[in-house]
Amino acid sequence: MKRPELFHGQPVMAFDTEDSRRKFLRGAALIGVGGTLAITRAGDRFALAQDASQNDLDILNYALTLEYLEAAFYTRALENNVVEGRELELVTPIRDHEQAHVDAISATISDLGGEPVESPRFRFPDGVLNNRDAFLETASTFEELGVTAYHGQVTNIENGDILAAAAAIAGVESRHAAIIAQISGGNPFPAPMEATATMDEVLEAAMQFIRS
Amino acid sequence: MRRRDFVKGAATVIPGSVALQMLGTKWAFAQSADFGNDVDVLNYALTLEYLEAEFYRQGNESGLLDGQEAQYLQQVGADEAAHVDGITQTINQLGGMPVEAPGVDFGGAFDSRDTYLETAFTFENLGVSAYLGAVGFIKEKAILQAAAGIFGVEARHAAVIGNLLGKPAENGVYMGATETPLSKDEVLAAAQPFLTGAAGMGDGAAATY
Repeated sequence: MKRPELFHGQPVMAFDTEDSRRKFLRGAALIGVGGTLAITRAGDRFALAQDASQNDLDILNYALTLEYLEAAFYTRALENNVVEGRELELVTPIRDHEQAHVDAISATISDLGGEPVESPRFRFPDGVLNNRDAFLETASTFEELGVTAYHGQVTNIENGDILAAAAAIAGVESRHAAIIAQISGGNPFPAPMEATATMDEVLEAAMQFIRS
Repeated sequence: MRRRDFVKGAATVIPGSVALQMLGTKWAFAQSADFGNDVDVLNYALTLEYLEAEFYRQGNESGLLDGQEAQYLQQVGADEAAHVDGITQTINQLGGMPVEAPGVDFGGAFDSRDTYLETAFTFENLGVSAYLGAVGFIKEKAILQAAAGIFGVEARHAAVIGNLLGKPAENGVYMGATETPLSKDEVLAAAQPFLTGAAGMGDGAAATY
């Protein structure tokens, strides 16, 4: 995948505690050594399983952190009235969706007996939150990164319910990515199939803006 | 339009805290008897992709669209054709028998720019829900990855076409914070008006359905 050059390498995301940061980053080490994961067969999965693996919880915390990033980004930019008119109408639900994803993923991690990672602290450079073009460019980067991040975990998720939920969220991220591209003059349909990025690749991109 | 009937159900705002649990439940609507194996799922997808690919082939020949809109719909049509090819090849690689293209009749879909895009909007959102409803039955990881990858692109199509039509952002361009799956029965009921006759479905499809 393309390596997004976010904010010219300036760190904009910081975790409050070392524990939070490590929870986000831990997945990188786990994915790739997880070995073969059988996709649960139909019929085996329908009660939201209480036996979620540590692997799945790590993936959920990874997704949660990316959703925190998106939710904070849109919330602050909209507070700055960065877009108006039809663009405002289209971006406002994106903010609401990202926040809903944060809430749903957090609740799921808790329900499964895990501990949701805390939200990192984010610092966005000047312009990104109040300049329409810079905002849309960054939004596009985040959405495309999110899409490839979810698709990169499709075959790693062990629990069928978590897979279904992740897919249902990923589809919405695809809609966001396409709309942001459409209103900013990008290409809403870059390929006939969504691309994937491994956790390592996503983290490598994200590391640029994590303050450790 | 028929699609609106079940879009209504998806319009309900699901609190984030319960969304995932609901999804797990909704996924259970699909019966394991719907699909015997991965080839069955792929043939189901292939029929829908044939429907879409032929729809855009006819629609894009109609000259109803101009400029950026025409270009977008050319890309969408090319994506659907690529899905048909990719799924067909995959079925062949698995030793299965791809279904034939169904007979289709799009009625008045190409009467105007608006009817073309409205019907496209229906197909794309139907495709999104169809893939999400079927993805849980796929056992082979590589196929699951591909189906998910196609699903995401259908969601892109649905959103952009909804925006071309000036639909409301929520329950129009977007369909909530999570996509909604549909069972095979629901999808086929929605697609049926555009499919002409059992003969058009092909033997493989008849067996599948």
